[in-house]
Amino acid sequence: MKITVESKSGSCAFQCGENETILYAGLREGLNLPYECATGTCGTCRARVMSGDVEVRWKDAPGGKKLKPEKGDVLMCQTRPLSDCLLRVPSEIAATDGNRPASRRGVIRDIRRLTNDVAHFDLHLTEPMDFEAGQFVVLETGDLSGGRAYSMVNFDNSAAKVALVMKRKPGGGFSDWLFARGDDEVQVAVFGPLGKAVFRPEEGKNIVCIAGGSGIAGMMSILEHSTRAGHFENYTGNVFFGVRTLSDAFYLEVLARYVTASNSKLQVTVALSHEDAKMPTHPNYPMLRFASGMVHEVAAKTMQGRYENAMVYVAGPPVMVDSTIRALVIDGVRTSDIRYDKYS
Amino acid sequence: MAWKRICGADEVPENTAKKFDIDGIPILLVNYGEGYRAIPPICPHMEEPLEESGVIVRCVLTCTKHLWSWDLKTLEMKGETEKPLKVYDIKQENGLILANIEEELAYEFDDAEGDDDDFFK
Repeated sequence: MKITVESKSGSCAFQCGENETILYAGLREGLNLPYECATGTCGTCRARVMSGDVEVRWKDAPGGKKLKPEKGDVLMCQTRPLSDCLLRVPSEIAATDGNRPASRRGVIRDIRRLTNDVAHFDLHLTEPMDFEAGQFVVLETGDLSGGRAYSMVNFDNSAAKVALVMKRKPGGGFSDWLFARGDDEVQVAVFGPLGKAVFRPEEGKNIVCIAGGSGIAGMMSILEHSTRAGHFENYTGNVFFGVRTLSDAFYLEVLARYVTASNSKLQVTVALSHEDAKMPTHPNYPMLRFASGMVHEVAAKTMQGRYENAMVYVAGPPVMVDSTIRALVIDGVRTSDIRYDKYS
Repeated sequence: MAWKRICGADEVPENTAKKFDIDGIPILLVNYGEGYRAIPPICPHMEEPLEESGVIVRCVLTCTKHLWSWDLKTLEMKGETEKPLKVYDIKQENGLILANIEEELAYEFDDAEGDDDDFFK
């Protein structure tokens, strides 16, 4: 079916299959349609259907709260066409450079529990995928409606396998379902890579990463890429990893290895929000620092006035991301130097 | 012309914003240090409440939800911002801030008239 999109920068058209959403079809065609989460929670991909019939998949998507369905407003990430359609999108649309996302199949293997409610798993892809450090994929199963977004932990060119992190949420459909599968292999549909909170060494910037919980996933990919590119020979890195207690932290050995590899040009601070970090160091992790408090407060205190030539990456639960961005803007960090991912 | 009193100039501290209801029309009064702006209280991007999501630093208003921002002196759009702020004319008299309110200023995505020709403006 033909989808025509009118935008502030003119009109464009692309083909959309009956089983794909309008957002994914447009992104797959290389158009920079507006989106953030691509899974119905943020509302960024809103559009107005001017003509044609569509089916909205997740009608109560939290990102759609402010839409006016009576005017034809939809979230493109939740909308499939039933006929040729004409849409309006209130932003500027152009062809993108960089990796185009695509649909693939994948098999989940090797689910490995990292903490009480966080697991690491490998996703084996039917076709290899190029992605940038900091990007994510959306996974869907036939059994459950709706996709869930997961940031890549690894960084590889033409990756046949990606590593992902999942946080189990009470009543969080996909994660409950996956945890229950145990050692079974799980078939999923994969769409990606997605996301603009990416690291590009050629930008020549110091790196600041502020992550809450499983938001550390994309930061691991950024650290892998920057370490491999020798980035810390010329630039500094500061990573702040917020968790409730030390027992909720994971990847600490890997983080310590990155610190060692950087000759301490990279510093990693674990911020404990619900536990007193009695000492700034821990005998098991001498390369890491520990602090008490909310991660955005720990980061703000440490980094105040030190954001010069830095790109700041923020990822985690929405409240944590919002608090962090507010602190960064107040501290004078330019909006163009902040890249974020909200996990909801 | 309908000049209406918003508040005393000292009621909104520097680099803060406060919402007022003026005869049923919501107005956000922003004190950016070098002056004041009276604007609709929502971000033109995703309708976030700017009284909570907005931060004012060095005369720039930033909605911290998605990082749209505007220079409050010049009303220039900063960064990736795609829509201008709408503003009410204001003046100061005897320590009071007055705004010229003919009708409520709204952003098109929120336009109750459903005038789709305005959708992109």
